[in-house]
Amino acid sequence: MLSYFLDFLVFVGIFGIVSLSLNLEFGFAGLANFGKVAFFLIGAYTYALLSQTGLPFYLCLIAGALISAIFGLLISLPALRLRADYLAIAVLAFGEILRLVVRAENIGGWRGMGHIASIFPWMGSSLIYRLENMGLVSICLLICFVVAQLLANSPYGRAMRAIREDEVAAEALGKNRARYKAQVFMLGSAMAGVAGGLYAQYLQCIIPGMFMPMITFTVWIMVLLGGPANNWGALLGAGLVELFDRGANMAKDYLTLPIDPSNLQYILFGALIIFVLLYRPQGLLKESPIKTKALEATRYARSAIKNKGS
Amino acid sequence: MAVNWAQVLFNSVVTGSLYLIGAVGLTLTYGLSGFPNFAHAEFMTLGAFIGYFVAEGLGLPAALAIAFLITGIIGFLCYRGIFQPLARRGASIIHLMVASIALGFILRHSINAIWSQSPYYFTATWPSYTIGPVVTSSLRVWLILIAIALSIIMHLVLVKTKIGKAIRASASNPELALASGINVDRVIWITWFIGAGLAAVAGVFRGAGTLVNPMTGWDIILPVFAVAILGGIGNYYGAIAAAFIIGLAENFGVVALRTIGLSTEYRAAIAFLILIITLIVKPQGLAMLFRRA
Repeated sequence: MLSYFLDFLVFVGIFGIVSLSLNLEFGFAGLANFGKVAFFLIGAYTYALLSQTGLPFYLCLIAGALISAIFGLLISLPALRLRADYLAIAVLAFGEILRLVVRAENIGGWRGMGHIASIFPWMGSSLIYRLENMGLVSICLLICFVVAQLLANSPYGRAMRAIREDEVAAEALGKNRARYKAQVFMLGSAMAGVAGGLYAQYLQCIIPGMFMPMITFTVWIMVLLGGPANNWGALLGAGLVELFDRGANMAKDYLTLPIDPSNLQYILFGALIIFVLLYRPQGLLKESPIKTKALEATRYARSAIKNKGS
Repeated sequence: MAVNWAQVLFNSVVTGSLYLIGAVGLTLTYGLSGFPNFAHAEFMTLGAFIGYFVAEGLGLPAALAIAFLITGIIGFLCYRGIFQPLARRGASIIHLMVASIALGFILRHSINAIWSQSPYYFTATWPSYTIGPVVTSSLRVWLILIAIALSIIMHLVLVKTKIGKAIRASASNPELALASGINVDRVIWITWFIGAGLAAVAGVFRGAGTLVNPMTGWDIILPVFAVAILGGIGNYYGAIAAAFIIGLAENFGVVALRTIGLSTEYRAAIAFLILIITLIVKPQGLAMLFRRA
């Protein structure tokens, strides 16, 4: 039972990273990345291929992030100067093609790759293995969260939000929107690549069928449910969606429903997202206000003046 | 290896006809409502399933008509129930796209729950003919005939009738259309009905030619999107040209892939390449050539 719970936490951590990365792209910069799974796949396959060469694991993870970032840049360049819908279609198509390529090429084919070297040697107990992985995933998640949080509250983050709200106005104020978007897209792809690498090393086997568009959609639910442009919301969303997923899997064993629970789960996911979009488009947690030293100083000064006056 | 070029050319026309029927609805609703409807794939799947069950008893023509009607009504209801309220609340294009993916998942998994994952094969056999060097079947002849009929009917509707003019007016300038007394909402409803119905027709042909399962529509959504974008969004005449360009590219591309010894699974990548090149070179697509349409 504890072991199962640890497994759940590892998944929340990995998808929390992906959710944070989509939140950077969609929440802060307003980019519609409908091919998140492509960058997750690149990270996973890069890790799986490089770990066979005996490279140290952290280099494999970093290489996955780098290659994912490069692909993110390449795919986003033609589409970023255009409308949101073109980017969405191009990246969605990219994900589908990539899955096709790894299935057709001689890197495991449709059977995928097994026996991927894990970072942690098997100690004869899944409990210890999962505990170790939880530690690793937590560290990666923490780094990504700190980066995302610092970025959101930096001048860079304010420029991103400005571009999201009004591209033309931001451009008139000297912000190069295409460059900002490409950079955010690269960073988001790199994070997804790290998550993919962690996923591959934790499961120790990957098959092309794991990287269906469903993954992208699940991550979108996490961000939209938790609250776009709020990093805590992205984490909350990841936790809730994973919990729902596990709950549905457990219900399969205990309940007899007229329809297959895995179908029901996706139908409910779809209905949930439409419901959220209709009635609470800001998500569970609202967009976090920007924190800057200047703003805090003004607030402090104002309250000081008020106190003096009374 | 000798290649039967006449056959390849004929296959291109068959592929192009299928993509044309699939893409007309997408491009019209995309142009009019301003967002790409990813659930278009599931409208095709739905059509394939309805077509399969009707064709078992009543034959292909009835299957096409009933699939068109039922899926058209469902498409209209989806727009009325989901996208119109969202658009009224000022949802952004990204929200509308996410909602369409969500709708796609609801439809696909409902289909999966009702009729299960296992593929169905049309039991009807399509007699095959040999015309010169080309081998064909009655199904393919039907497909080409319906695509030609559709092209002519849609052209006449768009140019000659009141509703066609209203569709074009609403797509090019909704405010002006509204001010001219056109009921833009009703025009959009009719377009969604026709669009979903045509998607179902494409789905029946795809299902009859291959197999029917919950992924039937998703399997060809990529080339269908490529047709809509290459043709210029909302541009019907551009879509006709684009459908046959992509049909040719795919069929000749498969020959090329075989020649250089790559897996023919890369067939789907051809439409993707065309999509990306269009976005880089000319995002407005072939619309340049058909400015008056």
